[in-house]
Amino acid sequence: MDRTKQNDIIRRARAMADKASLVADDFAQVLFPRTDVVFNDRMRSNAQQYLHGVVNQIEKRICEIATRDLGVTHELLLSIGQGGDGQSFALLEHRGLLNQPEIVHHLFVKTQQMELAARLLQKISQEDLESTLTRHLDHEDPAVAQAAMGLLVAQSKSTGSAAEIAASLADLPPEIVYAVAWPVTAALARLSAFPGPRLQQAAERLLAEHDESAGLTRKAERLAQLLEQAKTENDPAPHPMKDGLSLFVARLARQSGLTSDQIVTFTAEPNMARFIVVLRAADYPVENALSIYAALGSGDNILTAATYGELDRDRSLTLVSHWVAPEAFQKAERIFSRDYLGEEGK
Amino acid sequence: MSTARKLAEPVLGIVDVDGLLLSADPLLMRLHLRCGGKEGGPLAVPELAALCRLSRRLGMNLSRPVQASDDDCRIEMWVETRLASPDRDQPLSLSIIDWKEYSHDESDKMDPARDRDFDRLEGRGAIRTDAALRIIAQQMPGDAARNFDAIGRSLVDIYDVIPPSAHAKLLEAVAERQPIRNQRVRQKSGAQALFLLQGQPLIDKAGLFAGYRFTATPDDPTEDQAVGDADSKNVSGKLISDSLFGMQLGPALRQPLGKIIANAETISGKLEGPLRGDYVSYAKDIASAGRHLLDLVNDLSDLEAIERPEFTVAGDDIDLVDLAHRAAGLLAVKAADHQIRIELPDEGDKLPASGEFRRSLQILVNLIGNAIRYSPDGSVISLRVSNEQGFARISVTDQGAGIAPEDQERIFDKFERLGRSGDGGSGLGLFISRRLARAMGGSLTVTSEAGQGSTFTLALPERKQS
Repeated sequence: MDRTKQNDIIRRARAMADKASLVADDFAQVLFPRTDVVFNDRMRSNAQQYLHGVVNQIEKRICEIATRDLGVTHELLLSIGQGGDGQSFALLEHRGLLNQPEIVHHLFVKTQQMELAARLLQKISQEDLESTLTRHLDHEDPAVAQAAMGLLVAQSKSTGSAAEIAASLADLPPEIVYAVAWPVTAALARLSAFPGPRLQQAAERLLAEHDESAGLTRKAERLAQLLEQAKTENDPAPHPMKDGLSLFVARLARQSGLTSDQIVTFTAEPNMARFIVVLRAADYPVENALSIYAALGSGDNILTAATYGELDRDRSLTLVSHWVAPEAFQKAERIFSRDYLGEEGK
Repeated sequence: MSTARKLAEPVLGIVDVDGLLLSADPLLMRLHLRCGGKEGGPLAVPELAALCRLSRRLGMNLSRPVQASDDDCRIEMWVETRLASPDRDQPLSLSIIDWKEYSHDESDKMDPARDRDFDRLEGRGAIRTDAALRIIAQQMPGDAARNFDAIGRSLVDIYDVIPPSAHAKLLEAVAERQPIRNQRVRQKSGAQALFLLQGQPLIDKAGLFAGYRFTATPDDPTEDQAVGDADSKNVSGKLISDSLFGMQLGPALRQPLGKIIANAETISGKLEGPLRGDYVSYAKDIASAGRHLLDLVNDLSDLEAIERPEFTVAGDDIDLVDLAHRAAGLLAVKAADHQIRIELPDEGDKLPASGEFRRSLQILVNLIGNAIRYSPDGSVISLRVSNEQGFARISVTDQGAGIAPEDQERIFDKFERLGRSGDGGSGLGLFISRRLARAMGGSLTVTSEAGQGSTFTLALPERKQS
């Protein structure tokens, strides 16, 4: 056996030894999931692909800034900046640096959004979906028309169709760009062995040039805010097939006081139970609620008018107002509740 | 109720690395001051400050919805942060591109105590009834104030409804929960004084009819026939002057002006239904011009009153700290419109003095109103109290242009405007205020330097605390 192969086996063996203690944890998660949310293979594949795309785009942009703007001439960095294969992902994944809660949560929301978009596209064509926003371009309030135009432009800049797995740096929330950019910078510094502060300066420039206002989510949220402010009694309730997914989610989030991410998360839960409660709390008429459920549901379950009608609106409002509380508060409450039950059981 | 402010240009602000608000457009500065901030101090709007901190921590430009709140309203904004450069020591720019205000439920209704102060200042009475028209509170001017038995009794048991309206018509309006306008009534007992009632139905938090709030303006029965009927001056004792103005012209002007203002306010408040925006604006202009004319009529009436040899004032037991808070409360909206903050003595303090309540309040409202009128937007007006040599003093200090030494006595002259015009003043306010202060055994003085602001001090005989 040649020496290189020997070294390779030894490296792999060492790596495996490092990871061995975590095998049981991984297997336990698959065997005994702690939630009822089903992650199908398509979602897992999409999440991996999306994360890969995010890391590669950030890595490429940092290298571009470093080599073009800051005069760095390192070969590896030049190659990545010019569109060569990204190098950081494997290192970051191996060291568990992408396994941060906020990154994983964002991945989950993004993947579920794609899932919803794919379901929606089974009921309405891509062209029809894209034309939904044009009706707001003639809105009597110029601010609404302008915001609708902004969202249309942002959508057109977003890569591919809504259901395609594609990461767009411009659409990433600032917190996620920040959470990924610094580990990527550290990985680049390690892989290239490039000394000095210029890689960090490139990362700072990447962060400073990121414009949240240009992102799809914020564009949708601003239009939702303006539409809700200008709403009259005769306006129809928001619907994903009339507003498009981003705007529908943003409008429902605004009506309920929840975040867009929470609304998307609720749609991933079994029977979309919390999502239905949100619709009821926002006083959506029964026919609208059933139609929305059918448009966004996977088709495995059916919501009946009787079931929806029996939901008490006051109880729904109470539940939603509880979910509006800061996540840290809700988490602490859940833990206290478990402790309390535990002590009771003793 | 909500107010959308269509922003032609974004509202801008600059926040430095320590979170200090270096500069801000008036709308943002007003919110900052109302949230307890100071000029050049830390940004006092918590939600905006948090967004600035996040933007700076991430080193990134953010664009987010923000909700803020002050005493009067909740404000929905869309805010963008802009970092000048990746250099963290550089100031951060705030750009607010949407701004929509929602009144707090409570603020839709006026503070009843403030309402009463307005009524007292204008010499009006106020009656509050329950849904069955039983009087549950009343504060009336003159002799009618002594009618303590009215509480709990029906309004129509205490007052006779007299033409041009009639009993049935009043009850009909009450049954339909309609506003009541210009209803003449006469006290059934005592001085049998005449009043003109304006009533607004009250709706409680559950949306149910809860009674009426009436304002009662002393009415002059000769008014309709006064002009050209010199023999009908049989109620001259109630009038402030028997000259042409005090007897005839003042009341003859005051009532139609009152109607013009009330109707213009009804229109601008859209109480009768929706209205185009520019018509609302015209109605507000009409109401504002009407108020200015009414102020002038009141000033001229006061002028005549104080120039009469027999003019006297009541010696009420008053508290200058309480009066300062009341006067500032009456002008709070006007001050807020100019982003002016009024610093007041501690509410728990007391400074007893002797003087007529209404006249003392009138002087303070005049002094604070002048300070607001002649101070730059965003400045501070300070009210301070002290006592020395048997006098209780209250001073009003502004940050305006100040008054040159040679003008400091002239400003107390009749119709003296120091060459100013078009700002709503009549040139009588300080003249009347000084005469009133002297009539109460006190004084009104000014100290000032050009460019350094002015301090007006009202001194009234001190009253020993019992």
